[in-house]
Amino acid sequence: MVENFAILPCNGLDKCAGVISREIAIKLCENGKNEIICPVYYRVAETKYNKIAGEHALLVIDGCHNRCASKLAAEKKLKISRKITVTEEAKTHHIELKRNLRLLENEHALIESILNGLNNVDNTIVLTLEETNFVFEFVYETYQSGKFLFRIPKNQEVYFNENDCWAWVIGNRARIGVTDFVQQNLSDILYFTPPGIGAEIDQFGEAGEIESSKSVFELISPVSGKVISINETLIQKPELINENPYELGWVAEIELTDSESDKELLIGFDQYFEIMKKKVEELNG
Amino acid sequence: MSETTFMGVERDKIDWKPTIDYTKCDYCMECVKFCPHKVFEVRESEVIKLIVRNANNCVVFCRACSKICGPDALSFPDKNATTQRIKEIRREESNG
Ligand code: SF4
Ligand code: SF4
Repeated sequence: MVENFAILPCNGLDKCAGVISREIAIKLCENGKNEIICPVYYRVAETKYNKIAGEHALLVIDGCHNRCASKLAAEKKLKISRKITVTEEAKTHHIELKRNLRLLENEHALIESILNGLNNVDNTIVLTLEETNFVFEFVYETYQSGKFLFRIPKNQEVYFNENDCWAWVIGNRARIGVTDFVQQNLSDILYFTPPGIGAEIDQFGEAGEIESSKSVFELISPVSGKVISINETLIQKPELINENPYELGWVAEIELTDSESDKELLIGFDQYFEIMKKKVEELNG
Repeated sequence: MSETTFMGVERDKIDWKPTIDYTKCDYCMECVKFCPHKVFEVRESEVIKLIVRNANNCVVFCRACSKICGPDALSFPDKNATTQRIKEIRREESNG
């Protein structure tokens, strides 16, 4: 199935192939799981479409060999994951395109064949947040206790569980890790055992382990879903978790299965900050 | 608040604690040393030398002590069932 794609079609209104591209894009978006990028509106609504493109894999539909849609993608520096050209497809399916701008039987037949072709291929291109070049700009609130400093991100996209793990949720992806509370408690982190890529994790399930000479901490996943990437740098340099467990010290990325239901049992910055302060006081007291 | 509730639910209503399998436990007491929450209690002069004394101190969804238990004597309730139960209680309480 074509799911989680941003679809950038040729929108040529004066050529049959353009009209077909547009129709395919609309049909692909009817399942509610893809997003369309209007090539015309892109010229003026750059931010909106850059965001959509950044959060999805990109499928480009060129009408003909002028490749206007591909060129637009290149101009906007978008990474193309899949691409089709309508005139090529017409040849493959032995359908001759005429000059008509209204879709007739012939064109509908071609559209059906193209859609079947697209949907039957395994499209599970899973784009990690790194590949989308998503920029994580954490904004922190800090809490000092003795010589220990605790940074907690205030961004509203960041959720916590009471087990001191965080998740930055973007669409159907999340990046997860531990908070400064864990890192400060463990002190020097010596080993990192990542969760397996492809593993299905339940909310509050185990998503890797970190170990110091003091203790072992099992990362309790704030979200449920499939592990699509892990922070491989941590295997060689687990100490990055001590340096900053949100930025270079993130642990894994999850493709979310039910983030709305997960959120029922997650808390935001305000609540977590209070809970963490209490835990710090208890440890000291 | 954080010590008596979990996600707004009274800790007492959530069944989450380690269960010691005495056929496996060899009383090495690693778990006692490991857990900072005083969940376990050592009873030197008894036949059963280790018990779960303060179940409510156990951090909901934590399973850390079972990782360091060599004979694999510690088990926990089903995580999904617990998650569902917490959600149910929260719904009941927000409706009531
Ligand atoms: S770590 Fe395991 S074997 Fe050792 S005392 Fe605890 S339960 Fe028993
Ligand atoms: S599960 Fe965690 S909190 Fe509970 S007894 Fe074990 S180490 Fe302590």
